[in-house]
Amino acid sequence: MRLITHNMLSCNIKGVTNGFPLRIEAGNVIEKEVEFNPDFLRHMFAKLEWKALVEGARSMGYAELPEDSPDAAVLESDEAFLKKLHHALLELHLEEGALVCPETGRKFPVNKGIPNMLLHEDEV
Amino acid sequence: MKTTIAPSSLTSLPHRTNLSLRSSSLLFRSPSSMTTTTTSRGNMAVAAAAATSTEALRKGIAEFYNETSGLWEEIWGDHMHHGFYEPDSSVQLSDSGHRDAQIRMIEESLRFAGVTDEEEEKKIKKIVDVGCGIGGSSRYLASKFGAESIGITLSPVQAKRANDLAAAQSLSNKVSFQVADALDQPFEDGKFDLVWSMESGEHMPDKAKFVKELVRVAAPGGRIIIVTWCHRNLSAGEKALQPWEQDLLDKICKTFYLPAWCSTDDYVHLLESHSLQDIKCADWSENVAPFWPAVIRTALTWKGLVSLLRSGMKSIKGALTMPLMIEGYKKGVIKFGIITCKKPL
Repeated sequence: MRLITHNMLSCNIKGVTNGFPLRIEAGNVIEKEVEFNPDFLRHMFAKLEWKALVEGARSMGYAELPEDSPDAAVLESDEAFLKKLHHALLELHLEEGALVCPETGRKFPVNKGIPNMLLHEDEV
Repeated sequence: MKTTIAPSSLTSLPHRTNLSLRSSSLLFRSPSSMTTTTTSRGNMAVAAAAATSTEALRKGIAEFYNETSGLWEEIWGDHMHHGFYEPDSSVQLSDSGHRDAQIRMIEESLRFAGVTDEEEEKKIKKIVDVGCGIGGSSRYLASKFGAESIGITLSPVQAKRANDLAAAQSLSNKVSFQVADALDQPFEDGKFDLVWSMESGEHMPDKAKFVKELVRVAAPGGRIIIVTWCHRNLSAGEKALQPWEQDLLDKICKTFYLPAWCSTDDYVHLLESHSLQDIKCADWSENVAPFWPAVIRTALTWKGLVSLLRSGMKSIKGALTMPLMIEGYKKGVIKFGIITCKKPL
């Protein structure tokens, strides 16, 4: 699971109002190189939940992103920043671990890079 | 349409202890056939039965696709859906025309939904592929729109295969696949510009909940596209299908892990209840009809039979049920429908 996906996932247990973002318990994190595509990053940037990305990256061992979301203008000019964004968003893979609901503490396992978000009968 | 699988090949099948489909046919009856009693214990018993049966269905679907996905991929390719053909055309699964038809199915669906020009296409930045199979639609749509697509499936085997195929096609940055339930999608409200359900609606035991989730995760101004098998619309005054029609569907349900069927009209009514715009539907049964005979022909080749036997009982039962699909289409009981709409801004 990469952070671009983590940025979309939330806990939907019945009654939970604060299911995003999921905390990451990193068991095994690997890095896989992905082709750098600045246009794609610019395209996606507006819809990113920045804080979730920064915290998620830190949980996976990467602390290079700025705390605050930069202006869109930075995306046009600052290639160094774009590379950091690229690395955090697309190249860090959580292979084994868990995603934890911030409200209930419920753990969703991640195995072989795939999160299992299925809810139990009593959670729907 | 007759199939002639030689009896000897059936008797020599390996015996597995977990062969039997859930003996409780309770799983596949429509909710209206579950009786309720007035005692609270009776109600709890029904509720408990319903809860465990949904869990059992979910498990059954996951296991079915865990076991058969590899075989389906051999037959269908990475798009696990019907091709869109000119009616009465002849189809060979082995040729590229089949894959072209599957792509055409995606394109026709987009066009039907109103995604017809560049301006509409630009709006699509995030896609959810509900019941994604091994990710064929996600990969295609993400490439086409330069968008991000997230797929959900109940089968871990499919999710892994989908991710592997994405990596092989250098699409890992755009698509990802998770194990999740379409009835309880792990997303916040209003996230997706395009909500895509290509031949997965058949598996949803609670159509109302399914539609509710599709609507919930759609972004304001976003589109919902549902392509699915249905039963025919009921005429005015008709309360239910004829018993023979229901029997036919029940047989198909058991093998393919389908809960009760509904009609295209049912979907339209559900969407209307959510105040959605531009609700449209169509019957594309004639455009998919050439597909099943082609699948059967492939299954009956030597290679096909060997693959089936290797895959296991669920696949074999699936293969034996395919003529019923054809019968259903021919007799007008089964329809292949598309329903699309837009969420208001």
